[in-house]
Parts: sequence; C-alpha cells; structure tokens
Amino acid sequence: MLRILPTVTRPSSGLLGKVVASPSSSRRTISSTPARQADITLTVDGKEVTVPQGSALIQACEAAGAVIPRFCYHDRLAIAGNCRMCLVEVERSPKPVASCAMPAMPGSKVFTNTPLVHEAREGVMEFLLANHPLDCPICDQGGECDLQDQSMRYGADRTRFHEITGKRAVENKDLGPLVKTSMNRCIQCTRCVRFANEVAGVEELGTTGRGNDLQIGMYVAKTMDSELSGNVVDLCPVGALTSKPYAFHARPWELKNTESVDVHDALGSNIRVDSRGVQVMRVQPRTNDDVNEEWISDKTRYSYDGLRFQRLTTPLVKRGDRFVPASWEDALSAVATGLAASGATGDEIQAVAGHLADTESLVALRDLVHRLGSDNLTLDQNAGTSSPVHGIDVRSNYLFNSTIPGVERADAILLIGTNPRHEAAVLNSRIRKSWLHTGLEVGLIGARADTTYGYEYLGASARALSDFVQGKGSKFAEKFAAAERPLIIVGSALTEHQDGAAVYNMLAKYVLANKAKLLTPDWTGLSILQRIASRPAAYDVGFVPSKKAASAKPKFVYLLNADEVDPKSIPQDAFVVYQGHHGDLGAQLADVCLPGAAYTEKSTTWVNTEGRSQLGRAAVPPPGASREDWKIIRALSEYVGVPLPYDNVLALRDRMWEVSPTLVRYDITEPTSTDIVLAGLAQLAEKTNGAKVGDQPLKRAVENFYQTDVISRASVTMAQCTRAFVKGEGYGFAGLGKQGDKAEAAFA
Amino acid sequence: MQAIRLLRRNNVNGLSLLNRRSSAVSIRYSSTAQPALEETVVASTQSTEIAQTSQLDRDVFVADVVSGAPTELRHRSVRIFQPTRNTMQSGAAKTERWRIDFDILQGGGRWENPLMGYASSADYMQGTRTSFRSKEDAIHFAEKQGWDYYVQPPTVKRIPPKNYAENYVYKPNTLRICRTKCPVRDGIV
Repeated sequence: MLRILPTVTRPSSGLLGKVVASPSSSRRTISSTPARQADITLTVDGKEVTVPQGSALIQACEAAGAVIPRFCYHDRLAIAGNCRMCLVEVERSPKPVASCAMPAMPGSKVFTNTPLVHEAREGVMEFLLANHPLDCPICDQGGECDLQDQSMRYGADRTRFHEITGKRAVENKDLGPLVKTSMNRCIQCTRCVRFANEVAGVEELGTTGRGNDLQIGMYVAKTMDSELSGNVVDLCPVGALTSKPYAFHARPWELKNTESVDVHDALGSNIRVDSRGVQVMRVQPRTNDDVNEEWISDKTRYSYDGLRFQRLTTPLVKRGDRFVPASWEDALSAVATGLAASGATGDEIQAVAGHLADTESLVALRDLVHRLGSDNLTLDQNAGTSSPVHGIDVRSNYLFNSTIPGVERADAILLIGTNPRHEAAVLNSRIRKSWLHTGLEVGLIGARADTTYGYEYLGASARALSDFVQGKGSKFAEKFAAAERPLIIVGSALTEHQDGAAVYNMLAKYVLANKAKLLTPDWTGLSILQRIASRPAAYDVGFVPSKKAASAKPKFVYLLNADEVDPKSIPQDAFVVYQGHHGDLGAQLADVCLPGAAYTEKSTTWVNTEGRSQLGRAAVPPPGASREDWKIIRALSEYVGVPLPYDNVLALRDRMWEVSPTLVRYDITEPTSTDIVLAGLAQLAEKTNGAKVGDQPLKRAVENFYQTDVISRASVTMAQCTRAFVKGEGYGFAGLGKQGDKAEAAFA
Repeated sequence: MQAIRLLRRNNVNGLSLLNRRSSAVSIRYSSTAQPALEETVVASTQSTEIAQTSQLDRDVFVADVVSGAPTELRHRSVRIFQPTRNTMQSGAAKTERWRIDFDILQGGGRWENPLMGYASSADYMQGTRTSFRSKEDAIHFAEKQGWDYYVQPPTVKRIPPKNYAENYVYKPNTLRICRTKCPVRDGIV
C-alpha cells in the first residue's frame, strides 16, 4: 500500500472521540474558485453590503442580513419572478421592485422594512390567499409551510374575499406513488416546474393556461418518472405537492431530527432522519454543496418504510430446516461450535462484505478473520472472490478523483459502463446542470440509457473504447481530445465484467499518454463511480482476498450484510453465518443469523465514492435484540477465542486510523497527488497488460433503480415505484390513475 | 475555590450560555484552563482534523464536581453541530447557532408502549439539546461536562450570483432546453 502509515503520528488514545474536523470541508484549488467578477457595493436598510456583480437584489439583501419573504425564488433554481412576495423599496424607483428579478446595482439604496414594503407584501399575500383553501388543519405542509408562516408575518388579519363563485378549484394530478398533489393549494410559484426541467430532466412537467387558470401538470395523464421527483415536495412552498407515503402520518413538530448520511448509493448524500419514537417517519435532504447540494434521490427519501419490514430482531439458529430464536449467548456459541465443527482453517474461513456494511464492522471483521488465520476477505459482487482489477494499492484507482462538485468543471465527459442516473442520481443532476449551462459534451460506452442529457453513443462494448482511445470513428473523440478538462467516469460494474481488465488497461494507458490534460495538479480526469455505499471503505481497509486465499474452498462463510451473494458460490457443507438487519437472501442461506442495526440505528463511518468519510448518526434504537454491527463481531471474537483489542467505538476508530487515516478524517476528500495517481496507473497498466479486448457488451449495473438493496427491497413504497415506473403498471396511460382517484376520494 | 466561585457567577448551564455573547473571555476561570481551550481552537482551524491535545493541557474544571449530575451522564457522547436549514422551508433561522445533543442509547433507550403505542424512554437526555453561539462555546461546555464529543464541521454554502437575465441569454450552440413548449426535445439522442 502506498499509504504512508508509520510517519504519521497517532492520536492520543482515548481522545479520538474528541475529533475536530477542519472547517474547510472540501478540496479547494485555485481554478475551482469561480472567476471573480467585480464586486459592487450597495446599501440595504442603511447597511453597506458588497456582493459580486450580477447578483440578484435578493442575494444582496440576504447578505446584509435582511430577511426577504419569497415563494418562487430558490437558490438552486432559475429565477422566475412570479410570486412578487419579495418586493422591496429601492430609492428613486417609482414602485416597489421584485428583489429576485432585479439585479443589484452599485450605489443603490434598498429598504426592506418600510410602510410601502409592508403594504406591498400585504397586498401580494392577499392575492395569494384569495385562491388558497383554508386547508391548514388537514394539510401535510402544516407546521412547515412557507405560506402559513409568511401570512402570519406579512398577511392582513381580515379578508376582503367575498366572491360568490368561491375559490378556484383545480383538479388534482396523479404524479405517481411518491408525490401527492392537492392542486387547489397551488400558488403557481413554478418551483416544481423549474426543478423538473432544469435539475431532474422531466421536461413534461409544465404549466398550461394563464393567470387564474394556470395549472401545473404533465399535460397528459402521466406520472413524473424521475429519480429525483421527491424533491418537488421539499420545494413546494405550500401543500400542493406533498409526500404520498408520509401523508397524514406525522406533524413536523413531533419529529426528532437526526443529521446523518445515506447509504443507498455511494454518494453519501447528507440526510436528515426524522423520527418519532422508535420509528423513522421520513428522510429529508441536508444541504451540502460538496455532495448532494439540496437534493436526494427517491430511493434515499422513500425507502425508509423498508426499515420496518422483514427485520431480523432476534438471533436465529437453524435447527433442521427451521430457524429457532435464540439468545445472543446461544447464537454466538453456535457460531463458535459451527466454526469448530466445520473444520475450517486458514483461508477456508471466508468473510463476505455486503452493500450496507459500515466501515467499523468491516475493520472489525477483517481483524477477526485475520486473527483466525485467514485472508479470504471477499466482496458481495460478481468476481468478488478475487482481487479487483484496479487493485487497492492506490486510492485514486478506485475513487471518484474529480470529486462530485468537480464534475461541473469538466467540459467533456466519457461515461464507461455506467448510467449515473441510476447509480448516483444526484450526481446525474450535476451533469445535467453542467450540460445545460455550459458546452459540456457527453459520450457513452455501454448500455444505452435515458440519462436526462444528450450524449454521443460510442458503442456497447470494450471494443468501442479501443476505437475511442485510438481516436477513431466518432466526433466525440475529437471533442474529448480538444477539451480543456476532460473527464472519464468509469462504472463500478466494470470490475465485475470480464473485459474489465482490458478496459482498465486501455484507460490507464490512455490517461498516461494524455496526462498533460487528464492529470494535472489541478485536475484528475479519471474517476471511478462506485455505486455501493460500503465499497470504497472496503477497498480502503483492504477487504479483498490475497491470490492464495481466493483459490481456497470456504468451509465457514461469514456474510456481513451480504444479500446479493450467489447461493451456488457457497459450498453445501459450509457453515454460514449471516449478520445483517433484514431477512433477505443472505439470511436464507445462513445457519446462524445475527441481527445487526440498519444505517439509521448506528453512528458509523461511511466512505463515499470520492473517498469522503462521513459519520452517520443513530436516529432510533435498533429493534428487538439487534445490536450495532461492530459490537456483534467484537462479542463473537471472544467466543471464537481471538478477542479483538477494542472495547469501545473510540478504540475501534483508533484502529481504523491505523488501517487508513482517511477513514477517520471526516468530511473532507483527500486529493491524491499527481505523482501517486501516475504511479497507480502505471502499476495498473502493467498489471493488466495483455488483457484481451472482448466484444461482450457492458451491461447495466442497476436494472431497477428502486430496488437495489435489502432496505429498498423490503420497502412497500419502492415496490410501488417499481410497478409504476419500471413496469409501467397501474399508472400512466394504461390505468389513467383510476386507483389514485379512489385513494384521493378516501382522503378527502 | 476560585474556580467554583467564578463558575457560580457565570451560572454555567445551557441557558445562560445561550444568552452570553462572547464566552471565550468570560468562561476562562483559571490560567490552566486557557491553553486547553486555545489548543482545541487552533487544532480546529488547521487542517489537522484530530485535535492533538495532550492530557496535561486538558485541565478543564469539570462541572459535575458541583452539578450533582449522575455519573452515567459522564459517559455519554454528544455531537456538536450547526443544524442545517429545513429544506421544506426557505427560512434559515436557527442555523447559525451551534447545538449539542446526545447520541441515543443503544438498546432500551426507547421503546413503544405495547398497550397504547406511546413512545417511552429510559434515557433522561433524549430530549435535551442545548444551543450555543459559537463552536468554541459548545466544545468548552462539553469538555467541562466530561462528555465525549464530535464536532461536525459546518458545510460551506456556494450559491453563485443569480440573475433573471440568464433566462434570456442567447446560446450559440444547439438549444439544450426549450423554455417554451416545444414538442421535440432537442439534443436528447
């Protein structure tokens, strides 16, 4: 390994809990600073404020600390300027101006708290409320509604609305199983339309009609088929778009918020887990411009109901062909007896790390297996029983080196064997953003996919890449060669593909040959997009088998959250232990099941595809007798006679620090220096030298976005999404939303 | 003795800390406590993520000498963080303050009443959260209480200057998004 361990001083033991992370949470390089425009100075409420030229007036007011009410303006969407709530008074302007649509002008004097402004806002609020139903007591937005809050502050205390015809009535739209609509409440801010068009790439969501008759919808009866559709619920400032699975379940003031990290893909989206009692009620995004901006995918947001079903709550021991509940003591001694009875020695003891294994338990299990004399550490994927093609010696060979925000700086992207829309939906929105606003060109090798941005299709197999590296046959190759900051994104499925070695060989050579552009101190143009939350950490801790171990036939198999495992790969006579939180495939294969905690129930480290380690946080206790995963492994180590030396999580993190210091340097991405990247690629090129380029097409890594792990497979909402969006049943033109209508009638 | 007197004067508990403006001066009660605090602060502003404080420097007067808090409380771990804005709303209130709250107790910390479904808890700190004006205040408070803490760094906001005119900027190449209703999506292959 090229990590320099001995020269780094260890933190004082026992104090690792007192970790103070650095305030700068991202890598910053000179050119990542946006081109600096001239600053302008203006006065807001008598306070001088300096903002970059080209800012909207509302941004200047915010910078001055003035609170401007708004409905349509959103920091991450284009400016529409149609709600008129953000009116402010500007000196020498005859009328109040909408501060979101007005550029900040140098020297202007702005007032946000004058009688004129108050009157203007009250007038706007009166018009907004004229057609807004008095639904608040039965509205899901109640308690976290912008309209509710702002009408309390800026609205009038009496009505002048005496229309005999009553309020405007708008038909509800059926947007699928995730977003519930109540279009009477819509104030036509068009945030959802702008989000769908710009970010999610659902350009069908739009408006029809004008003025009072303006309606938001998909034009025809159609669901909103996007991996990011749940975000419109957040964006909606009123209760017109609310969460269908969460409908009428809880009020925001009942919920306990816990800031944590998502595990449904390898992005490590920042989330806030809202829980009530022992239940997770919903999952919300947490803003982090370095990772997920303000968006999360629908799987992240809505698969939480999977945490309630199919859970393993008590240790289970197989007697005959039935599982019998057991105490922890019995179950752990059953494992110890099973290990002894299986006669497994050395590399015949195999550990399999699954999708949702946290870093702490990976380190503990690795230590346990090593202490038992085995090096047979495998991954829960195709070809997971052998060392991955790219090796794990150099981090840059398996991480997303350009960093997630860095994607926006690329001006040509080549996707190889990956569909970011399904493997990292939030990252895909960044590519789309860049594609819309810059001249970004995208090329794709692999299975065709609807990516929400245009791309030039180069071919289905590694052969297309070999043409590309020779500069043959496509316009994209020329554009890529001419690009300033080209980026190659390689899917994680490549390591499972038989042509993986050939692809990595070609890429390593290509990058080495074009290092002037692809590898500068400022830019690393080769990124591997992992799709599984635990995988970067598994590579970091070295959870891969040695060559000798890979050939051993296992007699004792320890499945740590491994549920994608091929049952045929486990020998019939092997003793199988499953540790995990859901009764899925892995538990079926097991002789003993040890119930662990899900990601909302443990405070553990997760390393995302950039190599950014983030600390999740437990929101609710694990159900029944289940325990935190590393504790189970620690307890088991006593039973099998090789006690692990850490008794608390701080000592374990000390150990993680020894294994790889990056694991406990939270919230930063550590750039790999260009020299090391070069060394890594040279090693990779050498290792894979002579690999034959095959014609086998690169398949999709994710067939069904909505069900990729045990939690989402146990989730009812995700099953509904699979029906609606993947299979197209029950929604859209065929069903015309008949069931949805009935459900709505039941609620009303 | 002097320390205790000063401690009383400052009435160190969560509420009074909340109202105090600059704590770094007012809660230094002995010259030995000073380096500890500064050491932590310095470590947090450098890029070393792990506060390299030696045991000697951490001579913080612990509050439970006088607070009478149960000893179990000393073994709890807390998190110090700035709560993020609720994405459901546009207001950013309460996101400037630093909050301390407690990690949940594993097993037995919470349960649902089997008869009524009420949420119950044996964890007397589960509802406690304390807000501070600065990170240093929060760290110091946690140190005095003897809690293990983790400081979650605040995220950096990067919102570019936004302009209404961007909607109408001419794009020389293929039109990639139609802001009017056009039947064919250009550019999508």
